[in-house]
Amino acid sequence: MKELRSTVVYDDVAVEVNAAEAEAGHLWLTTDDLARATRFELKPQGVCRNSLCFPLPEARRQEFVRNGSSKTWFNLTAFADLVQQPMACENSADFSAWYFGLRSDQRQELASLQAPDFTLPDLDGKPHSLSDFRGKKVFLVTWASW
Amino acid sequence: MLYDELKGHNFEIITVAEDTRGVQDAGPWMTATALPMTAPVMSPPPAEKTRLTHTALIDQEHLVSKLYNMVNVPTGVWINEQGRIVRPNETAYVDDRLKHIHGLESAPYIAALRDWAEKGDKSAYVFSEERLRERLAPQDPNWSLAAAEFGLGEYLYKTGHLTEAIRHFKEAQRLNPESWNYKRQAWLLSDSKRDYGTTFREEVAKLAGKKYYPSRDLPGESG
Repeated sequence: MKELRSTVVYDDVAVEVNAAEAEAGHLWLTTDDLARATRFELKPQGVCRNSLCFPLPEARRQEFVRNGSSKTWFNLTAFADLVQQPMACENSADFSAWYFGLRSDQRQELASLQAPDFTLPDLDGKPHSLSDFRGKKVFLVTWASW
Repeated sequence: MLYDELKGHNFEIITVAEDTRGVQDAGPWMTATALPMTAPVMSPPPAEKTRLTHTALIDQEHLVSKLYNMVNVPTGVWINEQGRIVRPNETAYVDDRLKHIHGLESAPYIAALRDWAEKGDKSAYVFSEERLRERLAPQDPNWSLAAAEFGLGEYLYKTGHLTEAIRHFKEAQRLNPESWNYKRQAWLLSDSKRDYGTTFREEVAKLAGKKYYPSRDLPGESG
């Protein structure tokens, strides 16, 4: 597979990886880079981050995992499709960047009427989460300078 | 101040600034005596520098808009003590500083907030579960793709790749034409006339009388 340096933006965090592209539009990462960029790890039970695990369809495992001579490669774009995660990419001569949006588990809360949690900084940089205010009524409102 | 008046009712206000450039753009508006929830584009930031008393957050990645499927500002959501949405996305002005532009009275909305603060889930302004499910139905899958394109555009902008960023901002706008957020945030980051062939003023003029904000679900306002 053709290898190239690429930036993966996952959960809005940008990480440089040594990516590979077997077919156009498919992004393969080593399992090390997968962990660094997404905090997901390939385990026997599936692709996991702490207690959150997504099993891989056994019949199609080769679409997701390939064993190289010294490394194991994981198809992050096929995984995105599996977990209904939108994706956008910019591949030019100088650089390559892949952006991964919200997965189905991150968006599901809206269907259950539960307000999705988030953590954001205040003017002093101190983080606050919506869940900090559980037990109170919260009027959440977005605004902008534009 | 509205927050000081209502906080005794087990009530919190969280304002979230959807500004890609964070403190640089939103900061000057976060020391006002009034909640920073208007679109200040046509007026200068307030001169007074009073410290805000409520929880005022900065959202450079537009995360809250993504999570809650918001398409404009200011958008309000009511969340009860159990963390459940009880009133979904709605234009939320709590003062009349820009009423001359958008035509919405803040008084009915403030009255609704007061009622909810006092009565909680028993307030008439709280939506029934059935009505909420209708309003929170699964969105157009293109909207999800739009969010990824917008997110990539923001990353490219922040790393100095403006030309590429504009391409993805445009794609986000194409996939979700209902989002004023995607349009207005992008227009701010470069020369909108040069890069998008338009300005906010021109786009509003194109509405030709159709309202910029949808009607709110409040007494006296039509659909």
